[in-house]
Amino acid sequence: MRRADQVTGVVVLLFSVFVMVGAWRMPPSATFGPGAGFLPFWCGALLALLSFLLILSGVRRPLVAAAKTLFPSERGLLTLAAVVVGLTAYILTLETLGFLVGTGLLTAYLLGVVEKEKWTTTILVAVLNSAGLYVVFQVLLGVNLPTNRFGF
Amino acid sequence: MDIFHNLLLGFHVALSPQNLLFCFIGVTLGTLIGVLPGIGPVTGVAILIPITFGLSATTAIITMAGVYYGAMYGGSTTSILINVPGESASVVTCLDGYQMARKGRAGPALGMAALASFIAGTFATLALNLIAPPLADVALSFGPPEYFALTFMGLTLVTSLSGDSMLKGIMSGVFGVILACVGIDAVSGEERFTFGNVFLLDGLGFIGVAVGLFAIAEVLINLEDPMEQVFMKADLKLRSLFPNLQDWKVSLGPIGRSSVIGFIIGVLPGAGATIASFVTYATEKRLSKHPEKFGTGVIEGVAAPEAANNAAAGGAMVPLLTLGIPGSGTTAVLLGALLIHGLRPGPLLFKTNPDFVWGVIASMYIGNVMLLVLNLPLVAMWASMLRVPYRILMPLIVTISAVGVFATDNNVFDMWIMFGFGIIGYLMRKLDFPAAPAVLGLVLGPLVERSLRQSLTISHGDLSIFFTRPISGVLTVAALLSLFAPLFRTAWEARKRRLASTKG
Repeated sequence: MRRADQVTGVVVLLFSVFVMVGAWRMPPSATFGPGAGFLPFWCGALLALLSFLLILSGVRRPLVAAAKTLFPSERGLLTLAAVVVGLTAYILTLETLGFLVGTGLLTAYLLGVVEKEKWTTTILVAVLNSAGLYVVFQVLLGVNLPTNRFGF
Repeated sequence: MDIFHNLLLGFHVALSPQNLLFCFIGVTLGTLIGVLPGIGPVTGVAILIPITFGLSATTAIITMAGVYYGAMYGGSTTSILINVPGESASVVTCLDGYQMARKGRAGPALGMAALASFIAGTFATLALNLIAPPLADVALSFGPPEYFALTFMGLTLVTSLSGDSMLKGIMSGVFGVILACVGIDAVSGEERFTFGNVFLLDGLGFIGVAVGLFAIAEVLINLEDPMEQVFMKADLKLRSLFPNLQDWKVSLGPIGRSSVIGFIIGVLPGAGATIASFVTYATEKRLSKHPEKFGTGVIEGVAAPEAANNAAAGGAMVPLLTLGIPGSGTTAVLLGALLIHGLRPGPLLFKTNPDFVWGVIASMYIGNVMLLVLNLPLVAMWASMLRVPYRILMPLIVTISAVGVFATDNNVFDMWIMFGFGIIGYLMRKLDFPAAPAVLGLVLGPLVERSLRQSLTISHGDLSIFFTRPISGVLTVAALLSLFAPLFRTAWEARKRRLASTKG
């Protein structure tokens, strides 16, 4: 955790410097009182101070035997990557494939490929889920869900 | 007499067929969300915002509030039957609830949990009913400095009380406020951190961020180490659910005390249902004649935390409705929902939208009765829900979240926001950063900023305006104290250690 805290601290420190620079460049207020950059600048400064404290507390704390490993197991990591890839593909292709097909495929992928469920159950859940969501959102709630070039 | 008049108006609103139906849907979904481990009330409410978008504000909030307190009922079922808390406010219920189930007393444990929840939930609604109007009257005199101090205090208290590390909680809160700055500045019209992206002009979509940080992050965490569930066989026939006379005798005191303590903790910003359940369990253990039996399956150990978390859920509605300050992650999401519906929670709400305020409060009385019916005779049905494996649930949660986020603005960009914040939320959880303060910061950020800049404009940039007015002075000092409390505590502990080492 100690090393992880230090790395996080550095990342957050960089982020807050970025915020402060961005806020500094905003024009000052035309009237009395603080302008647009006022709050983000001071929040950035506060965050920088806090991340500095985090790095410091990481340095000062004695190294404890790691009670839990921070990194997921190889299998866990693969599962996570699989979900991230699936979700990315889903969002990218949603407007081409259309809602019904895209959502059905994502459900089937998550259940059949990631969770390795039986393919009969997979197909059943995928069809029901995609159709069910379509009915709730498009039919009952009147949301215009994305369609493919064939109109569904 | 005014209160009865108002409550009558409230029941008139809440008893309309549509509101009754959605109250029922809300508490049913709430129970379901409470029962299912791996999906909590914050996630449930966040997903519901887009779904209830087309409804009137009153109906939408009645539904979401129903999910919130309904989850407090459902959570106990999972704790008692499989020793896995359905949501964080039921963690303590596992201690004695699961032990009771192992001794074959699952029935009375479930029954007592439902009845204690009902008593405390009704008590909390009654207290909310009595306390909220006078508090709103006081808050009517608040100007920008008071509002800034109040939101600031809400923010610092929540961040400093959540999670194990106060430092990380505060960092998360500040991160949220920075996120709130994205988009067109409401005061000057200046673009901030939009990077030329038109979708960011309106700011980061609150729903996308909340669903990402809670729902998607939760899915990713659960995927990494799957839960193992051991289901307790239990006799769940209606007759076996009623606690016996002896059970009642030992539980009534704890239920009464826990209702009051839970409500007070719920009203305080920053301490929600989870903390309330821990505090009351500890209190009852200390007051008990046989503290050593706690943890072996005593019924008070179930009654106290279950009463407390319901009372706290009701209590949390007090600052939300009267001051517009959410006290917890779930109420922060509720506040976001109110703002989306064009309602600005705060003292004026009682004057401008009495039908809304009283309708929601009245619906909580009705919802609690519905929940008692849902959770006593039908508990066997909920228990069977636990047999649905998480791997089936996971794709459903992901797709419902994605569609819900899309539906709010009809654009795919919000899905990317959800996706991005899902990963950020996952990393935050891995690194022990609580997510609730970030959401709170995002919701409260614009309010903090507006009142801060208005105040400084009034005072021509003089910061003393926050200290010279009595109410804002007290609140600002309290906020600063809670912000620097971790430093004081570290210094205090270091001093103690030094003293101990010189003595030794």
